[in-house]
Amino acid sequence: MEKLAFGINIKRNYYHDTLKIGFAIFLILFSSQLKAQQDTTHKLKEVNVTSLSAPNVQTIVPVQQISSADFSHYAALTVADIAANFAGVNMKDYGGVGGLKTISVRSLGASHTGVLYDGVVLNDAQNGQIDLGKFSLYNVQSIALYNGQAPGIVQPARSFASASILDIKTIRPQLTEAKPYLISVGANGGSFGLINPYLQWQQRISKQWSFVLNGNYTYANGQYKYKETGDGSDTLAIRRNSDIKALQTDGALYWAKSDSNKFKIQFNYYNSDRGLPGPVIYYTTASNQRLQNHDLLVQSAYEYIAPGSFHLLINSKYSQNYLHYTDPDYLNNAGGVNEHYMQHEFYQSASVGYHILKNWEVSYSSDAALTNLFSDVYTSYYQYAFPTRLTLLNAVASDLNFNRWHFQANLLSSYIRDHVKNGVAADSKSAFTPTIAATFLPFKSSGLQLRAFYKDIFRNPTFAEQYYYAIRPRILNPERTKQYDIGVTYQKSFDGFVHDVAITADAYYNNVHNKIIYLPTRSPETPSVTNLGKVDIKGVDVTLKTNVIPAAGWMGIFSLNYTYQQAFDVTSPDDSFYKNQIPYTPKNLINLNAGINHGIWGLYYNGTLSSSRYYVSNNTAQYYLPTYNVSNASLVYKILANKLPVNASFEVNNIFNERYVVVYSYPMPGRSYRLSFQITI
Amino acid sequence: MKHLKLKNLLMALVAITALMSCHKDKNDVAPTPTAGIFVLNQGKFGGNNGTLTYYNYADKATTADIYASANGAGLGDTPNDLKVYGSKMYVVVNVSNVVDVIDPKTAKLIKQISFDKKQPRSVAFYKNNAFVTSYDGTVSVIDTATFAITKSITVGRNPEQLVVSNNKLYVANSGGLGATPDNTVSVIDLTSLTVTKTVNVILNPVAISADAYGHVYVISNGDYNTIMPGISIIDNTTDATTSQNTVDVGYGSPFVVNGDFAYYLSGTGKVVVYNTKIQVISSANFITDGTTFKAAYGLNVYSKTGEVFVSDAKDYKSVGTVTAFDKSGKTEYTVTTGITPSNIVFLN
Repeated sequence: MEKLAFGINIKRNYYHDTLKIGFAIFLILFSSQLKAQQDTTHKLKEVNVTSLSAPNVQTIVPVQQISSADFSHYAALTVADIAANFAGVNMKDYGGVGGLKTISVRSLGASHTGVLYDGVVLNDAQNGQIDLGKFSLYNVQSIALYNGQAPGIVQPARSFASASILDIKTIRPQLTEAKPYLISVGANGGSFGLINPYLQWQQRISKQWSFVLNGNYTYANGQYKYKETGDGSDTLAIRRNSDIKALQTDGALYWAKSDSNKFKIQFNYYNSDRGLPGPVIYYTTASNQRLQNHDLLVQSAYEYIAPGSFHLLINSKYSQNYLHYTDPDYLNNAGGVNEHYMQHEFYQSASVGYHILKNWEVSYSSDAALTNLFSDVYTSYYQYAFPTRLTLLNAVASDLNFNRWHFQANLLSSYIRDHVKNGVAADSKSAFTPTIAATFLPFKSSGLQLRAFYKDIFRNPTFAEQYYYAIRPRILNPERTKQYDIGVTYQKSFDGFVHDVAITADAYYNNVHNKIIYLPTRSPETPSVTNLGKVDIKGVDVTLKTNVIPAAGWMGIFSLNYTYQQAFDVTSPDDSFYKNQIPYTPKNLINLNAGINHGIWGLYYNGTLSSSRYYVSNNTAQYYLPTYNVSNASLVYKILANKLPVNASFEVNNIFNERYVVVYSYPMPGRSYRLSFQITI
Repeated sequence: MKHLKLKNLLMALVAITALMSCHKDKNDVAPTPTAGIFVLNQGKFGGNNGTLTYYNYADKATTADIYASANGAGLGDTPNDLKVYGSKMYVVVNVSNVVDVIDPKTAKLIKQISFDKKQPRSVAFYKNNAFVTSYDGTVSVIDTATFAITKSITVGRNPEQLVVSNNKLYVANSGGLGATPDNTVSVIDLTSLTVTKTVNVILNPVAISADAYGHVYVISNGDYNTIMPGISIIDNTTDATTSQNTVDVGYGSPFVVNGDFAYYLSGTGKVVVYNTKIQVISSANFITDGTTFKAAYGLNVYSKTGEVFVSDAKDYKSVGTVTAFDKSGKTEYTVTTGITPSNIVFLN
């Protein structure tokens, strides 16, 4: 009866040390290309220095961005590894190459982070969370985090509908007639038995047409050693059933008459099969649970910007997410769990912007999404609901620049209606939720800017929360968040040792009410999912980024992000955990990225320092998770071999072999190595 | 110069780490239990955080996890049963697939018996044997002197609790993990150690108990939908079901017999008292001071004093409590436990 394992508690993990091949390749690489190094050195120097461009941090809402040129500084493999570095982000990492990785921004919870894939929100209607570990970096141009929403106002209404947005933008061909194609081939491998070849083909077809195609395959046995002390053994154990095979293919076809009249259609297909190692459970053998995913996404966008006044954006999407979960050890009379889920979504959005005055733009966006979920979950006493959800979103927005002021406001109207085949559908919901933001430049060209925003938004219960094993109908309200932010930014470029500096500091107060809480009660008669929770969050995000040029041909980067969060559960003074920090939320979190490059070499350090946390609501010693400090390093080598750009890098994750967990009973890997190599023709 | 800067930064980071890593001591020093209460906390299912709380009568001190303190190791995932037999205490740890034999005087582990992939659930004792049900549809027989598993008896699907009565072992077959629950009780002859009969009861039986008047009580959960929970009564001489009644009983409620009275939890968390001699409910709520629970979960009666102990699992995710009531149903004290306190055992 503990079958109410909620949705699918996606539990998985990682891999272990097989760096022998890696080293061999590394050595070959070095010896053969040392010569090439000399004659290309000074050419590349120039390239490096001129490519220095600091992303704008003086935006109306806090924006943090890392673009593809800098991915190599983070010893990163997936989008999750990059996103974890932003201030205010708390990544929940179940560990390992195949382990679920989600981000919670400013303690609001992972379900409140909208993930934009080339301008359109990805939706997981079943669990409400996007696994960022599924997205490789090869096809990604930039990753940005917006608190509240993206700074522009001509965007789909759904982009206004999350408490924060993680924006993933894929690479778009920028080719000339002289060189109409660009093909990159590379591979990545190392610890955990990881082998990860990939291919990217960018092609210019004509003046207006171009396409890009990507493919990458990941295989890893995922095993790694971890130290277990909680069962008294104090020995190194091996994480098992954590293998993964994944194939990701994606592509896009672009048409552009000009920068202001363009169309694209793209697809992304992800196919994976992985073991779910589950939590480490003392005294027993590893899990045999498995998970297969087949995710398909097809979307198109048309954008037209008339000079000075009118802006049109049309987005369409179809997606399907197939999930197959098995657990042969589950002792039912069917010989185990064997569940299939299929989600479909049809999505259409139109957004128009109009400049009433040169400095005043207004916009209107309208979205419709139809989402359904099929499953073969059943018992004699419970039939799956087969829900279909219609979501209608309409947003009006206004953006005004006035003197040293910049104002933005929008109002979002949401209407959500469910249909079910079995049982009782949730009541339809509608709401109006506003966002207001402003910036102010106190002094002319001082580089200093003040900003503030307020956002009120909610998330609707997911299909799992609303219907999964809901033997009795669950009366659930949307989970609502309110965010208040005030900040100061400073950005300036210099000619000298310090090339540029960008500093931001934001203080915020958030609260969450009607927080949806899953109660693993043994009595299905009373709802096992309720709207009980209330959370009060006070926090500070500070970011500092600077590029320095200590000597000709040398460049140093330094980036420090600091997060302070006090996230108290204030559900009820009667609770034993009243005013305790919510689970898995460190009070202090520091991300540091620093590096130096000279000519063809670059050496980078990336570190995360998290203060202690508690893994249950009670902040007592029994449920304490100690602080951890994880350091990664990457050595990057870029040359031209026969005029072809070649990149190689050697990465070490968790250099100091820190034994730690992010999620209780999901040990993280110790030191691991990765070698990558790429050639572009 | 730039190297120097990087080094300084790393040093600073290391210093901050050192400052931030004042580890809190997870384990209390294990006291020596004298007389008090053990509370078994299931923890979160799949959370690997089952604990054993000890409350000492003399100094009213609580040890949050005496098992961890005494053994330097955790109990594991979802301990589901705790019972004392002779001088030893048995903990059945469901998801960790072990049965721990503990010395209750020190809380130290004497023997850990592996039940790999079987998922053990509950334990009962008879003549130097321990009988352990497992979700794989078996009852394992353990010699309490050698701790060896001497026999495995196949019963129904997903057996839960079991009880000895009239030299027979009655096993509640829940079938609760299947798409359709079971509705039987297996009767095992304790001499031949074979199933001699399978008795039909209300769907999804979980708790089972016996009184001194030849009644075996079986609490069933029903199907959570149209078939409501209820109590079936089996006659221990004929092994026939004499009554099957829908009763206001909480899902998974224990059924505790103490002399002529039995106690169980109602659907709303009241402690119902049932007279086993004359077979009527003698009190709709034992508790007389108006105390209520968020999620009444475990229940036991201390026969020496007639005190009733009720555990409250609250939200099943944070720490719970056990409240002691005197024989008139008034609150004596409340002890903070671990997550999902389920079983209460007394140490004399």
